[in-house]
Amino acid sequence: MIVQMKRLTLVAHKADERAIIEALQPLQAVEVLKDENASFGADQLDAAESRVQQLSEALAILKPYGEKKGMLTPKPEASLDAIRSELPEALRHSEELEQCQRELARIRSEAEKNAAVIESLRPWESFPADMQAYKRSRTVRFFPGILAAADVEKLDEQADAIEYQLFSEGTNRAVVVACAAEDAKSIAAFLKSLNWTDVAFPKLSGTPKAAMDRLEAENAALAKEQERLLGQLAEKGAYKAAIEGAYDAAVIERDRLAALSVMAQTAATFELEGWVPEDRVAEVEKAVSSVTDAYYFAVRDPKEEETPPSVVRNGSFATPFEEVTNLYSRPDPKGIDATPYMAPFYVLLFGLMLSDTGYGLILSLGCWLYLRLKKPTGMSGGITRVLFWGGLSTAVWGVLTGTFFGLDFDVLLGTTERNLFPLLVDPMGNPIGMLILCFGLGIFHILFGVALKMKMAFSEGDWQTAIFDNLSWILIVVGLIVFALPMVSPALPAFLGTVGMAMAILGAVMILLFKGRAKKNVFSRTISGLGELYQITSYLSDILSYARLFALGIATGVIASVFNDLCGMLMGSPNIIMKVLGILIAVALLVALHLFNIAINTLGAFVHCARLQYVEFYGKFYEAGGRTFQPLGYNTKHVRITKS
Amino acid sequence: MELNWGIIFAAAGAAMAAAMAGIGSAIGVGMAGQAGAGVVSEDPDRFGSCLLLQLLPGTQGIYGLLIAFVIATKAGLLSGGAAALTATNGLNLLLAAIPIAFGGLLSAIHQGRVAVSGINMIAKKPEEQGKAMLMTVMVETYAVLALLISFLLVNGVVVG
Repeated sequence: MIVQMKRLTLVAHKADERAIIEALQPLQAVEVLKDENASFGADQLDAAESRVQQLSEALAILKPYGEKKGMLTPKPEASLDAIRSELPEALRHSEELEQCQRELARIRSEAEKNAAVIESLRPWESFPADMQAYKRSRTVRFFPGILAAADVEKLDEQADAIEYQLFSEGTNRAVVVACAAEDAKSIAAFLKSLNWTDVAFPKLSGTPKAAMDRLEAENAALAKEQERLLGQLAEKGAYKAAIEGAYDAAVIERDRLAALSVMAQTAATFELEGWVPEDRVAEVEKAVSSVTDAYYFAVRDPKEEETPPSVVRNGSFATPFEEVTNLYSRPDPKGIDATPYMAPFYVLLFGLMLSDTGYGLILSLGCWLYLRLKKPTGMSGGITRVLFWGGLSTAVWGVLTGTFFGLDFDVLLGTTERNLFPLLVDPMGNPIGMLILCFGLGIFHILFGVALKMKMAFSEGDWQTAIFDNLSWILIVVGLIVFALPMVSPALPAFLGTVGMAMAILGAVMILLFKGRAKKNVFSRTISGLGELYQITSYLSDILSYARLFALGIATGVIASVFNDLCGMLMGSPNIIMKVLGILIAVALLVALHLFNIAINTLGAFVHCARLQYVEFYGKFYEAGGRTFQPLGYNTKHVRITKS
Repeated sequence: MELNWGIIFAAAGAAMAAAMAGIGSAIGVGMAGQAGAGVVSEDPDRFGSCLLLQLLPGTQGIYGLLIAFVIATKAGLLSGGAAALTATNGLNLLLAAIPIAFGGLLSAIHQGRVAVSGINMIAKKPEEQGKAMLMTVMVETYAVLALLISFLLVNGVVVG
């Protein structure tokens, strides 16, 4: 159900500000609102934010190192004081990590640069002279370059003007052309006419060979340094847990400062405006009074123009289903919380879509183990609990429809003669019966939604909406069904048909006459009534939509039995060796295939069941659009905070 | 040798159901996978959500397989001893495969498109994963209905 929100105003001395916020944070019960005149210095908040950034970057660097956590390891628990005390140490580590990382980047880029120079010098390995000194001549010009092998012969055409020497083999050859200084211009033009690329030696001394050796030695040293730094990084992996804790501490600190920064302040006092759920007001006041007795604390109901966040509180069964509702939209704080009504239907319909006892038991067991070992919270915890209940319901439906891992219960228990199973209906043998069951559940589900809308209208005092817009539809739908009953089974008395018809007509007349009750004109009233009556098509398509219960049910069941048959064929070889091998392979395959089937069909059942709730059920009454409650609290990622 | 038209039609139906729905799913899952890989390359933490969305257009292929198997069983194609299948029976089975073959093919492709948009949505707003999934599932409704009709039609064929 929806919890009423109260608007809180808290005024206290500035000296107590920090202590009060710290006392409120563990309660997770106050959402702080921004004040227009908030004046708190942003620099403290920026510093806190940059600490969070620094630590998160350190964690990103450390990602490949340190202890790997198993899938099922729960979050470690720690007290706030403990992770806070790790903060200075962790910040020091993260600074070193950052330095390490920067150094590594520098080394990498330097090594790459060296490698590129080495590559460019490789054709010149046999060049005998110093790269800088060879050009120093007043009468001779040198042109070092790369020439296509095909053009080398063309150099001989100018044999009387130039000398040249080749330094490498291959399709592109390193060559130095020499000529008299006065011919330089014409020779340069001549070279350009060939397939020629000028080469400028890097500013290195000695022969290319010597330079390459030097650079290679340099790179070896860099590689060693890189090795050392990587070792350092890996060593820091030991501090990963501490840094994770410190990261959470830094986030908590930042959130506290962020709350402070939006509050109104005077020279000596601060004023906190916020939302508190009604049932936690006393707790909040107690937390404040434990810090100081000099405060002003007042709560009031929200005003008409204010939209409080939407908070719901449900019993332990329905609470996990809030996550299903949240996937759609949170309830309007002025409406009703649909979760407790939706939860039983969700379990019921989910089970029918999977409807296999074996699968249900596996799913529930898996979810139970996950909850036990990993202790998930929040969304994943909620969804896991939903699936746990869904699994139980699946097991029950499996008994009702008579399937266990795709096998018939009767075959399994040896009760084929008595034909004990299915207890309710066999979807393969009696598909029409199964369809009727699905539509029946659907009609109940939909009409329950309409009835909820009726209840909402009554509680708002709007009896006209309740009677004319909602009860009328229940009359029509139920009336039409009752009308059809004697036709389907002649055993029922015929007057039922008349009663049903009367109900439906009464409903239709109510809509025709009163749907447009706001309008004075009789004619336009009837027109809007007719328009509303056309809604019968949407009711029809809503009901037909529940056929998916059956279709997904056979999808699970038939695929399971297909897998069984396939593996049965593997085991059927008359040759004894092939038979043993076949059984081994078949068992392994059966486990894998059935797990796959469970996974894919659980996904299908989850989303299709959610759709039935959102579209067919919530469409009838739910008022969406609530805002998430974001209380000041501990938004930790790596550790669970315990009381110190 | 005389052709057994009953068996031929039935086999054609089974093949059509598995092949066409399978093609649709392959296209849909393929598109969604490409989009997912793009998002994951930016933010590896999104892998789980992207994978879920990528999987959704894959069900049509399974539905096609299912109908193919039901047809094959009914026609006795798997047990070797082909049942006394008349040409009418066989043609009925072939027609029964049409809903899931075409429904599966087209709905998987379109579901793949919605899944791609959903994955792009997750890249920008990870908290809206539920809505992305819901929109993708809306398309699947029609594959589910096609499956249902195909199944009922196969089930209604009386062999022998």
